[in-house]
Amino acid sequence: MDAQRPAILAQDLVKRFGDFTAVNGVSFEVQPGQIFGFLGPNGAGKTTTIRMILGLLKPTAGRAEVLGLPVAQAAAQIRPRVGYMSQRFSLYNDLTVRQNLTFFGRAYGLSDAELAERMRQALDMAGLAGREHVRTKDLSGGWRQRLALSAAVLHRPQVLFLDEPTAGVDPVSRRAFWDMLYSLAAEGVTVLVTTHYMDEAEHCQRLAFIQRGRLTACGSPEEIKRSLMPGPVLELAPADAGAALQALRRAQQAGRLPPAEIELYGSRLHVVAPEAHRLRRPIARALKAAGLDPGPMDLIEPSLEDVFIASMR
Amino acid sequence: MLVRIWALAKKEFLHLRHDWWLPAFMLIGGSMELLLVGWATSRPITNLPLRVLDHDRSPASRRLIMALENTGTFELDGFASNMASLRDSLDRGEINAAVIIPPDYAKQLASSIGRPTVAVILNGAESIPASEALRAVEGVVTHLGQRVALQRLRREPERFAGFDPSLRVWFNESLSKALYTTPAELGLMLEFTVLLFAALAFSRERELGTLEQLLVMPFSSAELIIGKAIPALVVGFTDFWIMLAMVHAVFDVPLRGSLLLLFVLAFLYVLVELSKGLVLSVISRTQHQAFLLVMLVGMADFMFTGYAVPVEGMPRALQFLANFVPAHHWLTILRGILLKSAGLDVLWSHVLALLLLGAVVMTFSWRFVRRALD
Ligand SMILES: Nc1ncnc2c1ncn2[C@@H]1O[C@H](COP(=O)(O)OP(=O)(O)O)[C@@H](O)[C@H]1O
Ligand SMILES: [Mg+2]
Repeated sequence: MDAQRPAILAQDLVKRFGDFTAVNGVSFEVQPGQIFGFLGPNGAGKTTTIRMILGLLKPTAGRAEVLGLPVAQAAAQIRPRVGYMSQRFSLYNDLTVRQNLTFFGRAYGLSDAELAERMRQALDMAGLAGREHVRTKDLSGGWRQRLALSAAVLHRPQVLFLDEPTAGVDPVSRRAFWDMLYSLAAEGVTVLVTTHYMDEAEHCQRLAFIQRGRLTACGSPEEIKRSLMPGPVLELAPADAGAALQALRRAQQAGRLPPAEIELYGSRLHVVAPEAHRLRRPIARALKAAGLDPGPMDLIEPSLEDVFIASMR
Repeated sequence: MLVRIWALAKKEFLHLRHDWWLPAFMLIGGSMELLLVGWATSRPITNLPLRVLDHDRSPASRRLIMALENTGTFELDGFASNMASLRDSLDRGEINAAVIIPPDYAKQLASSIGRPTVAVILNGAESIPASEALRAVEGVVTHLGQRVALQRLRREPERFAGFDPSLRVWFNESLSKALYTTPAELGLMLEFTVLLFAALAFSRERELGTLEQLLVMPFSSAELIIGKAIPALVVGFTDFWIMLAMVHAVFDVPLRGSLLLLFVLAFLYVLVELSKGLVLSVISRTQHQAFLLVMLVGMADFMFTGYAVPVEGMPRALQFLANFVPAHHWLTILRGILLKSAGLDVLWSHVLALLLLGAVVMTFSWRFVRRALD
């Protein structure tokens, strides 16, 4: 494959459902071998964008290319070279692990020998060796997602589309799932993954934020932080974070505090503003006025979640 | 291509094995229905309860009552003492028929210018027993009327040779309703089975969320259609032959015509229904929706199978409409082959109609489903 050519190219993709615009001029490129994270709240248009890139949905406007081939014209050439895990479950619950994998393999035209070999690898990869005859519905969520990924890569696709693959999966299984993704990327597979989890987003080489159908940011995690979030974040550790948040919001409404994004972050508060360090004093004053102990305040590097939330406004 | 089709068909059979109850339900449910309907309609209607209000109480009136009983259609349930109690038992549905014999029945019968009458009340709410009862009463009365006329002409009734029609019923010598209803039932079951399985083909995957997966795989839409069609075809066909064997064995529904012809035409018909089912399948979002649509379409076709009302007895407009219903032609063909050993020479118009309709339906379905899947 030509190294210059992006593995995935979206160009001004637009999708309207009636007079509702679900995707509004989305453009991005994914280079071969990258893990590209697609982030956005529910209903932002992530799934719709993926479906257009896969050719499952006709775009209202714009175009998409996969592996340098135009999706609209070359779906048949693209399909054998891509893998997809849809947002909903992509395996057959009533079939066993082996039956599912066999179906995937046969559908992609694997020979008996190839299928046997890949089946073994897939079972190893998913950690399901010895459980081939378990019905898929009897597997727990994390195992099922790993099996789904193994099935999606059984035919060795060059590009992999994963739509919220770890939604509702426990942290340990998510970790195992991401380990699988890393090893796939190391083998040169291009991965486009949508996720809700910010910690997962940090694992991606490139990210795109999408909101109400529009891209709000695109780049590496560092680039995004830099572009959207000039400067550090002020982290507060008050005794009662909830009460402190309310006091600060009231102070903002009363005009006693300059505008800033204040979010609950566990038992702490994050204050996001262009020059957050200047807010130390007014914050301390506002909290004391409300009879609350401000506690320690530190300037920290913003996390992606800070950036994400800031970009939502 | 063949590998992929086979992979898909095999997967479908695996689903069937896990959801074995669905084909089993169709087969067992269909057979049960067939047995019940066949059994209920194959027996003549007999022993309808009859009550008599005999104001005459003469030997002549007793002969009349005996004649009615002797038809076998009625069973004397007793005598009523007055009109009110008779009406009451009719209202309650205790009896299907009542006979009221006027006080001068015997006198009128004996007199050379008399006009003997009897009143018969039938429970028309149950129209099939009522028409059976009516036929029996008419038979008795006609016979009596002839006797009376001959007596008045002073002829020996036993020695009189009148008009004696030689009536023969062809194809269904005993006029067994089972021979008419069971092929209809059979044809209908085939339709429902094929329609249902075809309708579930894509709606099921859509509901479960696996359709997208299927669509990004390197299946062409043609491969998807064929792979999905094979199991529906096999199930429908298996069902059909099992039930055919059953009605043959149990109800003596004959297999007079060419089984090969039946096989070919049944296949054609199954393809038509399959095409309809696949269209329902891609327009339904859930299996539930697909199921309801099958019911709707099936019921509409049901009207034209001649099961409830013979198509020939329908209003003109509906008769015309029947020409466009594949099930109508299929049932004519099925009955023709089974009961009349009809061949293509007789059935050609229906076969041609089925072919043309089939071509239209299949072309439409093929295009429609492919478009929906692309
Ligand atoms: N087939 C459809 N018809 C109408 N609206 C749709 C359809 N698919 C998605 N949408 C709408 O488009 C928006 C984006 O949906 P989606 O792409 O699924 O968001 P995400 O995957 O980011 O959660 C949502 O508001 C959704 O309701
Ligand atoms: Mg989504």
